[in-house]
Amino acid sequence: MRIAELLEKRRQGWLELERMCDSFRSVKYPFANQGSLVSRFSALYRAACTDLSMAEQYQLPPATVEYLHRLVGRAHSQLYRSRQFATHRWFHYMSRVAPQSIFRDPCVKVAFIVFFGLFTLSAMISWSEVRFPGFAERILGADQIKALETNFDKPLEKNFNDYVMMSGFYIKHNTSIGLQCFALGPLILPSLCALAYNAVVLGASFGYMARSDVEQGDVFFQFVTAHGVFELTAIALSAASGLRLGIGLFATGGLRRVDSFRLNAERALPIILASVVLFFMAAFTEGFVSPSPLPYFFKACVAILSSGLLMYYFVVLGYPHPDIDREIANSEDNPWRSVGVDHATR
Amino acid sequence: MNAQNAIDLTAVITTPENIQFEYRIAGPFRRLPALLLDFAIRMMCLVAIFILMMVVGATAAIPSGMIFFLILLASFALDWFYGLFFETYWNGQTPGKWLTMIQVISVDGRPINAYQATVRNFLRLADFAPMVSLEMFAADAPPAYVIPTFLVSLICMTLTSRFQRLGDLAAGTMVVVNERSWVPANVKLEDTRVVSLSEHIPANFRMSPTLAKAIALYAERRGRISIGRRTELASHLANPLLKQFNFRDDTSPDLLLCALYYRAFVSKEAFSEVKRFAPPPATDTGLTSKDTDATLLVNLMPDSLELPPPILKAPL
Repeated sequence: MRIAELLEKRRQGWLELERMCDSFRSVKYPFANQGSLVSRFSALYRAACTDLSMAEQYQLPPATVEYLHRLVGRAHSQLYRSRQFATHRWFHYMSRVAPQSIFRDPCVKVAFIVFFGLFTLSAMISWSEVRFPGFAERILGADQIKALETNFDKPLEKNFNDYVMMSGFYIKHNTSIGLQCFALGPLILPSLCALAYNAVVLGASFGYMARSDVEQGDVFFQFVTAHGVFELTAIALSAASGLRLGIGLFATGGLRRVDSFRLNAERALPIILASVVLFFMAAFTEGFVSPSPLPYFFKACVAILSSGLLMYYFVVLGYPHPDIDREIANSEDNPWRSVGVDHATR
Repeated sequence: MNAQNAIDLTAVITTPENIQFEYRIAGPFRRLPALLLDFAIRMMCLVAIFILMMVVGATAAIPSGMIFFLILLASFALDWFYGLFFETYWNGQTPGKWLTMIQVISVDGRPINAYQATVRNFLRLADFAPMVSLEMFAADAPPAYVIPTFLVSLICMTLTSRFQRLGDLAAGTMVVVNERSWVPANVKLEDTRVVSLSEHIPANFRMSPTLAKAIALYAERRGRISIGRRTELASHLANPLLKQFNFRDDTSPDLLLCALYYRAFVSKEAFSEVKRFAPPPATDTGLTSKDTDATLLVNLMPDSLELPPPILKAPL
């Protein structure tokens, strides 16, 4: 049990490892181009690991064991560092995995049906003044209708300054709302409420503006045509991601609740990422194209082009295809890999 | 694989070297300062960017719209991508976590990747819920729901064994303490009576591992305990041993345990070194090359071994 000599032999190694950990803390890539450093570090680390595993046998005092635990922990987190952001991997994820994952997700379908269903319904009710008098006024409120009308009173004409500033505002404001929809997903109701609220209010505004007796309608549609496609899709997608996250807490599919939550977060991520990208694109369109005095023809072309783009991404890239299936089936990035079996047996 | 120690708040990790070691898990009160620090840093960044942009806008010929665009973009990025960016590039630490020495890792002990950082940071808002409105504090304040109550995350942390908030659960991460521990400082057995007493312990006395452990724990902590309390604590263990060794009943129990500690952990040769070397200065790394086997092991307190006044008479 004379462990003094033993500890003395080991201690220099521990201290050296400790010093190396200290010096790495402030360095971003501590092991870049330093093979000898890596091998020295890992040798010391393995030695400390061995000491730790032999601690019981050596009968090291508890405080020394505690010290070794922390030392090994620190060295471990230096040696196995987080993988850096690999661009090609993210490109593959966004171009291959994400559309497939989004296309097959039932939550996306539900969110789209809820959003565009309520939107259309609300727009039609609000539009047919004769059958449903006062609907738009009750939904939007007289003040907001007035604000809408004054907003689109004058023909669109703004300068470059306004374009840039407004796109900044749209990025911050709209994308934040989308991300909030995702973040509040585990509580389910906030996501769904935000979705339904947006659908009804937007629908009512569109319907009201489409009435033949509202003069500002022309300018309004001049404004919304270009970015509407991106923005409406983004709203629906962000709520879908929140829904997917929340569903995971209830429909566990035989997994433990925690595992199911984790798996569904993995499935929700491509949806919210796509939604953020769409919010950004919508913001720039809304900032630059929508308020410009360009002819309506051009704006309609932008809308058609963006619809085509969305179709390509979500349907052409997303439609299940045996080749793509084979390519991504076992990829660890694919959140739908071998649906649940892998996780259930773990 | 990831066994959980139910008593101590530690997570056991098995490394690729097939070694098990423990991480201490950071609880909510360890994480709150990091959160507040990060918030303060973000606010300061925002103010700095704002001032910088105003100065640039006033001096350079850049349209004011561009200035506002950049400010808005910066505030958006700081809101949503601050934690994500730092946790990906700084090995699971944000500046606040770095200052408070905690770190995010996967539950299986691996470092977190960009995916996990994204999920746990995007979900932060759910953990802050429910938000409280400003109106609660001042009737004329705008009805903005901006004050987080952290109830969701607190409840979630209470219910999970690794203090995980919702975002942690979704990403499969946990927050652990990553501080440098104190290098075992040295118990200096300066009182020679310890040695002389230890020589009287019967040579055939074999200490069981648990007894050795208990004595080591006692020796590490006795520096922080008052003399009366030392006697009280030590006597539980010492009195039966005094009988067994046929020592006098009025032998100090504390001294007996020190002698046992000496015998168990410090060699005779080592002790002779103590007299030759002055006690090492308490440097930052704790140990210098002078710290030979003389000074051994584990005590937080530098002033650890003032032994109580001698009660020991010559052992029988």
